[in-house]
Amino acid sequence: MYYWILFLTSALLTIGSSVLMLWTKNLIHSCIFLLGSLIGIAGLYLSLGADFVAVTQIMVYVGGIVILMLFAMMLTGGKDFVSKRQKILDLIPLMGNKKSLIWASLVAFVFLLSQALLLMKIFSSVKVLDEVSAYSPSVEKIGELLITSHELAFELSSVLLLGALVGAAIIARPKKGRGN
Amino acid sequence: MSNQALEVFMPISIMMGIAVLLFIGALLAAKFLSPFKPNKNKNMPYECGEEPVGTAWSMFNVRFYVVGLIFIIFDVESVLMFPVAVIFKKMVSLGLGSYVLIIFLSFVFILISGIAYCWKKGDLDWVKSYTKTSIRDAE
Amino acid sequence: MENTIGGFFLKFDFIKNAIASGSSAIGFDLTMLFYIMMFLVGAVAITALLATVGGLGTYAERKISADIQARIGPNRVGPFGILQFLADGIKMMTKEDIMPSGADKFLFYLAPFLCIFGVFSTFAVIPFSEGLQLTNLDIGIFYLIAIASLVGVGIFLGGYASNSKWSLLGGMRGAAQIISYEIPVTISIMSIVLLSGTLSFTEVINMQSGFPHNWFIFHNPFTFIGFFVLFIAGLAETNRAPFDLPEAESELVSGYHTEYTGIRFGLFALAEYIEIFVVSGVSVSLFLGGYNLPGHFLHGTLGAQPLQFAIFMGKTFFLYYVVIWIRWTFPRLRADHLMTICWKYLTPIAIFNLIGCAFWMVLFNGKSFYDLLMH
Repeated sequence: MYYWILFLTSALLTIGSSVLMLWTKNLIHSCIFLLGSLIGIAGLYLSLGADFVAVTQIMVYVGGIVILMLFAMMLTGGKDFVSKRQKILDLIPLMGNKKSLIWASLVAFVFLLSQALLLMKIFSSVKVLDEVSAYSPSVEKIGELLITSHELAFELSSVLLLGALVGAAIIARPKKGRGN
Repeated sequence: MSNQALEVFMPISIMMGIAVLLFIGALLAAKFLSPFKPNKNKNMPYECGEEPVGTAWSMFNVRFYVVGLIFIIFDVESVLMFPVAVIFKKMVSLGLGSYVLIIFLSFVFILISGIAYCWKKGDLDWVKSYTKTSIRDAE
Repeated sequence: MENTIGGFFLKFDFIKNAIASGSSAIGFDLTMLFYIMMFLVGAVAITALLATVGGLGTYAERKISADIQARIGPNRVGPFGILQFLADGIKMMTKEDIMPSGADKFLFYLAPFLCIFGVFSTFAVIPFSEGLQLTNLDIGIFYLIAIASLVGVGIFLGGYASNSKWSLLGGMRGAAQIISYEIPVTISIMSIVLLSGTLSFTEVINMQSGFPHNWFIFHNPFTFIGFFVLFIAGLAETNRAPFDLPEAESELVSGYHTEYTGIRFGLFALAEYIEIFVVSGVSVSLFLGGYNLPGHFLHGTLGAQPLQFAIFMGKTFFLYYVVIWIRWTFPRLRADHLMTICWKYLTPIAIFNLIGCAFWMVLFNGKSFYDLLMH
C-alpha cells in the first residue's frame, strides 16, 4: 500500500516537474523544476528498494549539482533570465525552430523504432515479476562489492574525480596578464 | 506488486507531509490575520533609503563556481567512501584489515593530491592575487 | 518494521495482547493500523516539540545573551519572560506580508518552504530515546546529511528571489558557505561510521554506553579532534555566528532574508533554530553517547524511555547553550576567512582524522583508548 503511494507520488513529481521544466520560460524556474524532478527520481529509486542510491541521488544531485547550476547561471549573468520570443512555435513546450523540430522528430522516430525492435526481442523471453523483492538494506552489499569485484572501478573513479577537479580548477583560473 | 518492508520509510513521508501542511497552515493563518495594503514605497526593495537602480541580477565572480565544483568532487568522493567505511569494521574482524586499508588510503590519497594541487596553485583562495577582469564584475 | 517506534512498543506484552484482542474483535489485522497510528502520533509530538524548541530557542538566546552582556533580557511576558516566544510568534503572524516589486513570486514562496522541508524531514531519524525514534533507518546518518543540504538551496533562492542586491549577495555567500562546510561534516561523520561499521543511529549509540569513557569522543585522539571539527563545521552550516555573514546584520542588512516579512521570516528563523538542535543532536548521538543511561540501566524497558529522553535532551540542550554562548563571544568572520577556514584548515584536519581512525582500526582492532589502557 505504501509502495503504491510512494511510487505514484514520485512518478507524478518526476514527470510533472520535467514537463514544467521544459515549459517554463524562466531559466532559474526551470532549474528548480529540475530539482523537483531529481527528488522524484530519488523516490523512484526508493520504491525499488535501493535506499543507498536514493539517498546518494539526493546528496549529490539535489545538494550539489542544482546549486552548482544555479551558481553557473548567476555567473553568466544576463539581463533577466526570461526568453521573450512569442512565435507560435514557442507556445509548444519544445525548443527550437522548424528545421530542428523536423530533424529531432526524425531522429526520435528512428531511435524509438530501433529500441522497440530490440526490446521486443528481450521482453518476449522474460517473465514479468509478480512481486518486487523485499527491501533489505543495501549499503553493506555495495561496500563488499566495491572492495572485492569492483575494486579497480573504485580506484579508477577516484582518478576520474581527480581529473575533473584539476580540469575545473584550470578552466576557472584567471588568465595572467589581463591587467588589474 | 507490493513491498512490505518499505513501510519503514513511512515516517519520512509523514514528516515531509507535516512540513508541507505546516507551511500552508502558516501562510493561511497569516492571510487571515495580517493586513494587506500594498503601497509603492513599501514594495521597493530595501537599499538603505536610496531608490534601487536596475535589477539586482548581475554577473558574479567565478570563485563561487570553483567552490561549487570542488564541493561536488568531494561530495561524490565521500559518497563513494561511505560503503567502504561501513564494511571496514567487518573486514577488520575478518582479518582483511590491511587490504581494505590500502584500498581506502589509495582512494583518499589520489584525492588529497588533487586538493593539494588546487591549494598550491591558489584556486582555493577566496581573494585571488590577481583579479579577473570581466565586463561587469560584481562582488 | 521492528526498527520503528511502533515496533518498539509492540515488544511489550500488554500492547501485543491488546492488539490481538482488538483484531479478533473487529476482524482484520490491526498491526499495520497500529504502526501508522504510532507514526502519526510520534510525528505530531515531534512537531509540537520542534515548535517549542524553536520558540524557546529564541527566548534562550535573548536571555543568555542578556546574561553575557550584563543585562536582564525579556522578563515581562509571563514568569521570567518565558512566554516571549509566543508573543513574538503572534506578532509575526499579524505583520503584513510584503513582496518587493519585481521579485520572483514563485521562488519567493518556495524558499522558506525548502528550508522548513529540509529541516523537518531530518527529524524522522533523530534518536530521542531507544524506542522514541520514529524510524531507525539503516542509512539514517547518511539520509540526515543528505536531506539537510536542501537548506542551502532554500537560502540561495531566498536571496535570489528578493530582487535586492544585498539579498542576492547574502544568498550566494550563504549557499557557498553551506556547501563548503558540508565536506568537513561528512568526513567527520565518516570517521565515526568507520569505527562503528554501520550507518544507523541506534547501532552507533549502542556501541557507546552511558559512562563517558565509552563515548566515541574519547575513543581515540582522532575522534576527539573530529568532534570539534564536526561541531565547528555544523555551526557554520547553520549560518550561525561567528559564521553568520550571509545574514550579517551590520553588513548586509539581514542578508538573504531582508525582504521577508511576517510569518515567512518567522519560518526562516524557525528553520535556523531547529537546525541548531539537529546539529547538536547529531553531535550528541555520534560522539557523546546519545541517550545511553549509565550502565545500560533498565535497557529495553518502557520505564527507561523518559529517562533516556531526558538524557538526550539534556546533552543536546547543553550543546545548544554552547552554540548560543559562542555567538555572543566571538566576532564575525570575514568572507575570505570563512572559506579559508573550511578548505585550508577543517577539511585537511578532517581527512587527517579519517586516515588516523582507519589506521587505528587496523592496528588496534577497533579497541578504544580506555580499553587499551585497562588491558
